[in-house]
Amino acid sequence: MGTISFDKVSKTYPGAQEVRALEDVSLTVAEGEFVALLGPSGCGKSTLLNLLAGFEKTTEGTMLFDGAAISHPGPDRGVVFQEAALFPWLSVWENLIFSPKVRGLSRAAYEPKARELLKLVGLEAFADALPVQLSGGMRQRVGIARVLAMNPRALLMDEPFGALDAQTRLQMQQLLLDVWQSLGTTVLFVTHDIDEAVLLSDRVCIMSARPGRIVQTIPIEMTRPRSITKLTSPEFMAYKAQIMSGMQVGAIH
Amino acid sequence: MTATDRPPTPVSAPTARSGAASSAVGRRLRQVVLAVLLPILIIVLWQLGGTNGSLLGGVLPTPDRVWQAWKVWAFGAGGFGLNPYSGTWFANLAFSAERVSKGFLAALVVGVPVGLAIGWNRLAASTVDPTVQLLRPIPITAWLPFSIAVFGIQDIGAVFLIALGAFYPIVVNTAQGARDVERNLIRAALMMGASRLTVLRRVVLPASLPSIFTGMRIGLGIAWTAVIVAEMVAVKSGLGYVLWDAYYVGRMDVVIADMVTIGILGLLTDYIIVLVERWVLTWRRMQSFQS
Repeated sequence: MGTISFDKVSKTYPGAQEVRALEDVSLTVAEGEFVALLGPSGCGKSTLLNLLAGFEKTTEGTMLFDGAAISHPGPDRGVVFQEAALFPWLSVWENLIFSPKVRGLSRAAYEPKARELLKLVGLEAFADALPVQLSGGMRQRVGIARVLAMNPRALLMDEPFGALDAQTRLQMQQLLLDVWQSLGTTVLFVTHDIDEAVLLSDRVCIMSARPGRIVQTIPIEMTRPRSITKLTSPEFMAYKAQIMSGMQVGAIH
Repeated sequence: MTATDRPPTPVSAPTARSGAASSAVGRRLRQVVLAVLLPILIIVLWQLGGTNGSLLGGVLPTPDRVWQAWKVWAFGAGGFGLNPYSGTWFANLAFSAERVSKGFLAALVVGVPVGLAIGWNRLAASTVDPTVQLLRPIPITAWLPFSIAVFGIQDIGAVFLIALGAFYPIVVNTAQGARDVERNLIRAALMMGASRLTVLRRVVLPASLPSIFTGMRIGLGIAWTAVIVAEMVAVKSGLGYVLWDAYYVGRMDVVIADMVTIGILGLLTDYIIVLVERWVLTWRRMQSFQS
């Protein structure tokens, strides 16, 4: 459950000036694995996520989710967007139960779990608030909770903490670690932040810029459960150094 | 230290705050005064400029005459006068308001779904939108002969013209709103298992509401124009009918009282939409307050 497989996937955006966003990407993510896609902006890592979510179609190659080809978006793959993408006219609670509600589940079936999730992300007091009344970090917590409310087999996270300040980002990373360590859902996590990639994932896939391809895959073998205190450990620094050399940070082309 | 850089205001803070509260009231009062200043000035000059109750050599009655005419029109003259306008103000106002309501509601009921379809669905956009754009430049006044020929001198002709006039701004603004829905909101809904119809109803419609209200306000303004034009030509009752009829018999006092009535009604009905909008779009208002 929750296995992802890309086989020689390419994506070209047609137009007056064709854009080759992805080139020959092959990647397998096992059940319950946490994989980070790391790369500079414009490297096609979000495109990869959009293909998997079913928002866009591949140009070449095959892409499977639990062995089946992906044709359209669906609640088996929960997407967390960078700017949360909550419905601004719905309260936190209504946003949280949007998916079970539109899928026709009975209130009794989703309410207890939704209450639990609201508590998990620490927003019980804000159930009736509108998204506009929340901070960026709180909005993203709703964005994560509403996805967990659908019991997805995989979480696809597109730079979910990219717009947050450094301190809030650390809190959110810790929250995600805690949640993931108890759920064990497959996660594909897009980021441009090396620290974040190393801290959270089992494997970091480094992508090159346009056309995007995976140039290096580095397994992160730090023990679980992890917490943000790992960020200053020597083994963390070693991984960071390895990734920086892989990304050729500092080199000017 | 930044603390010492601050000017020593804390001591006077409480007075500053109560000063701010009273100045908010003061600001509001000032706005009202500024708003009514010009109308009052015009009325006063108009009154003072008249001789024997009229301006421009007897063409324009002065405000006091208009006021007298309106009182008779509204409450009747008493006795058995032959004045055809005696006591008919409210009935005519109701005729016009009813036609505007019917036509405007028809425009809303047709315009919002059509606009959403054009903005949301490519097929609807290519099949319906060109026709709407082709018909839109034809002013409602140009539809008058058509309307009379088809519907005769009847209520439905007036309602048709009003609905047609209000339809265009509603449909155009709704379509724009539906086109501008943030892509990630639609993606989020699809990702959460919503069908396309559910997305339309639960995402595209609410996201388009600010534009729909803009269309409604413009549409209502056109509806009032349309009702007056239609009543002048195509029916025998209402404020537009009285306006033209009073002009023919030289009752400029009634004409001006009628014009003022139309203006106030337009203002009030627009305000009703603004109130509904504020209530429906609380989320939107909070967004703009915080930005």
